[in-house]
Amino acid sequence: MALDVTEHAKPPRAVFLPWMMGHHFGVPFHRDLQRRVIMECLGFLESAERSGEVRTLPIPWVQARREGIEIERRLGLRP
Amino acid sequence: MTETSDRGEGPPRVAQLRPGLWDTVNERYPGSMIDKADFVPLAPLRKPLSECRLAFVSTSGTQPRGSLPFDTVHPVGDYSFRRVPTTSRTDELEIHQLKYPTASANRDLNVIFPIDRLRELADEGVIGGLTENFYTFIGYNMDPERLERTLAEDIATAISEEGADIALAAPA
Amino acid sequence: MSLQYLKDAAAAGDPEKLIRYVRLHFGDGNEEAGRREIDKAWVEALKPLLDVPPTDREFILETIRTRDPATLAHLFFHLHFYLVQRSGEWIHDGNL
Repeated sequence: MALDVTEHAKPPRAVFLPWMMGHHFGVPFHRDLQRRVIMECLGFLESAERSGEVRTLPIPWVQARREGIEIERRLGLRP
Repeated sequence: MTETSDRGEGPPRVAQLRPGLWDTVNERYPGSMIDKADFVPLAPLRKPLSECRLAFVSTSGTQPRGSLPFDTVHPVGDYSFRRVPTTSRTDELEIHQLKYPTASANRDLNVIFPIDRLRELADEGVIGGLTENFYTFIGYNMDPERLERTLAEDIATAISEEGADIALAAPA
Repeated sequence: MSLQYLKDAAAAGDPEKLIRYVRLHFGDGNEEAGRREIDKAWVEALKPLLDVPPTDREFILETIRTRDPATLAHLFFHLHFYLVQRSGEWIHDGNL
């Protein structure tokens, strides 16, 4: 979420998500998105080539939220 | 490192939603933000993910109900951690944190502490398994030297003792 | 050393940096909001005392007498948050 903070902290591998704070693995009830974030991180364990590399998961926040709202409607959690 | 597009078509806009966060916090609380000069050596993965035991480390302030609440009032922050058994149900856990919006996490904890998703991946054999505990702390700790000397060392020791092969770490 | 500027300010008897830090903490990074929060806490502390109800002064005096300064100071911070929460106007929604 905070790419600038990540660049200062310099973890060996990082995945950047352009999302709102408090939503580091996605939106409520969007199981597939939550898994995708984790799988992106786990895949990076194998594919990273140099320390400090930051990979971006290019899913806009508006898209994540929209998909989450549709899922909640299908689950009857939202009108 | 990021791709942005202000034109109608093309790659999705994927810039940081809150630009200049590091500078903003460091201006308000001088010296409180971590700033490393060097990169740590990249540790290669030595066995397939399907054989790796995973530990999850989070600053979300998630903790077992009934455990001593993280200290959200101390002006210099909280340098303690909690163990969250990886068998925990989400309704056995609660969040004590003030510095990030928790409304979504209160509806589905997995948006910030994906314990259900990680258990599923272990059950499916995508990863070899989980450590007995996940480790959590809060992100309000204004003394980075104390953070590294105490909390970071304590958690690194703990997850090593639990036999973790890989660690997924997430801020909040 | 982290926060050295605060320790130096405390040693030099320079309160401005210290109170600014407190206001930022109470205001989630907004110093003006922190000022308002301090006032709000004191208003909430005043309200229940206006009718001069009986209070446990023995507990209060015993606590002050027997607890170390750091614990009492920490308690003071806890009481601030307790009081602002009683006001019903809770600003700490995590949106810095």
